[in-house]
Amino acid sequence: MSTRALLVTGGGGVGKTTLAAAIGVVAARRGIRTLVVTVDPARRLADALGTTLGTEPQPLGDEPNLWAAMLDASASWEAIARRHADPAAAERLVANPFFHAATTQFPASQSYAAAEEAVTFIDARAWELVVVDTPPAAGGIDFFTAPRAITDLVGGRLLRWMTGGNLPGRRFFFDRTARPVLRIAGTVLGTQLLDQIAQFFMDLRTTYDGVRRRAKEIEDHLRGAHTVVVTTADPTPLREAVRFFRELPEVARRPEAVIFNRTLPTSWIDADPSGIPEPLASNLRRWAAEAHRQQELRAEFASRYDTRMAVVPWQPEPPTDLDALERLVKASEGLEPVLWDTVD
Amino acid sequence: MLALSMVGSGDGLATHLGTGPLSPVATELRPGLWALRIDRARALSEYLQSQMRVPAVATFGPVARAFDAFAAAAPAIREIVVIGKVLWEVRHDSWDIVVADGPPTGQIGSYLRAAKTIEELVPAGRIAEQAGWMDETLRDPDHTSLAVVTIPEELPTVETEELLAWLAREQVVGHRQIVANRVLGPLDVPATLPAGPAGDAARLHVALYREQRTWLDRLPADLELPYLFGLLTPAEVAARIADAWEAA
Repeated sequence: MSTRALLVTGGGGVGKTTLAAAIGVVAARRGIRTLVVTVDPARRLADALGTTLGTEPQPLGDEPNLWAAMLDASASWEAIARRHADPAAAERLVANPFFHAATTQFPASQSYAAAEEAVTFIDARAWELVVVDTPPAAGGIDFFTAPRAITDLVGGRLLRWMTGGNLPGRRFFFDRTARPVLRIAGTVLGTQLLDQIAQFFMDLRTTYDGVRRRAKEIEDHLRGAHTVVVTTADPTPLREAVRFFRELPEVARRPEAVIFNRTLPTSWIDADPSGIPEPLASNLRRWAAEAHRQQELRAEFASRYDTRMAVVPWQPEPPTDLDALERLVKASEGLEPVLWDTVD
Repeated sequence: MLALSMVGSGDGLATHLGTGPLSPVATELRPGLWALRIDRARALSEYLQSQMRVPAVATFGPVARAFDAFAAAAPAIREIVVIGKVLWEVRHDSWDIVVADGPPTGQIGSYLRAAKTIEELVPAGRIAEQAGWMDETLRDPDHTSLAVVTIPEELPTVETEELLAWLAREQVVGHRQIVANRVLGPLDVPATLPAGPAGDAARLHVALYREQRTWLDRLPADLELPYLFGLLTPAEVAARIADAWEAA
């Protein structure tokens, strides 16, 4: 089965997960075998989907074509280490206190794990469409750059320098070249810790070939996937959205479209409040000013980045079931054409 | 007063202060108000020289590069450089108050915990000694207060609750307050709303207000800041928020 991937990206809190689920429902109801993979859905979205999601894809409700799964981004480095290092090195890595710090804190590791999981679903060829709600870390762009960040970390110039080349007697090189310099660092960090760090890097280095191969596969998949960027007309999410248009073409395809969520009707902008009693007239003026602000920001975005645009109306309450998710897409302008062009 | 940006380009802070790109060196914007953005490489070099007493010549060469590699694998070191810079400015006699624009709620934990992590990870060495006073300064309510800014919606509320639970467990800051931003005021509407935009805008406002109160009831804020409508420049937004904060 040929599988299309649609990555729904954007900053945190813009309704990305809800829209990914809504797109999934609409596609499935058109007869497309669809899997929605999401990070950590808000409780009410999980309620709307009618189930508690697990990491294994499960069918949703009575929908014959709709499955959903949660990305397990916690496996991260331990899985990477066990997959790509020899068993003894993997054991040492996992036991190393620096490894613990890395698994919990290296920002790219969770995004890498999520990307790897998403690619596994795309690779399974069990669905015609896989809609991925990408994790919001670092504005979401991390999801695309993580494979390279991980490869750079385990195979970076500095690590090669510190651990010697991939040659017999590497330890000898390390002792002769890096150690004297690191002695200064030793006074700062303590020598025992420095030994742990050195061992950590030596073991990490053994994962390089495996990590590089897998990271390349993930990058290739991400490059073949379609992307839509979700934002609201607010400064912070817009700054994140801009990053996707500027930086994504370096690592993946340019986004297909930008989706402005929580959009107010443009008809409010010129609505005449005369004759309307207070406080409704003042309220209309305030929201009309807000609708105008949104329109200006959308226009500015469109003038800078030549891209397709979809607008989704502001829903005061989140969707409560699959029908409401479908209505969200139906009420939008321009979202369905983007979706069908991606799938066809 | 010193305003500083802990992470990123600092453009958000700069535009709200009505100025161009921030420098890594404290610059006076108007009488009494100074600003800077933390540049990680520069902060690392300063940290190595002033705190670790590493000779200046070594801080740009291989030692700094080696540190960068450790920092990539053990971010507590990278983060202690950033939080260390903030706390160093706090200790400095130049400022009455230092306001730091921090990373998002989901990422602040690793900065606040960096000193403690280092103390646990590094049994000896100068870095462990330095982590000690940083940890103390953060935990001293006379020195440090954490303002957790949120908006009354589901995800930010859940994220804030998670941070508060984490703070209660870790005890890394001595004082904190919750600030809810973009809060709508009540709207007294008649039972029957007119058809058209005025009625639609009222319905939206009332529904959003009710939704916001649900989250504010669940997570009461120490301070509520108003939703600002319409086109405003970042500097205007900052001025309005400052007025509202002062009035509160």
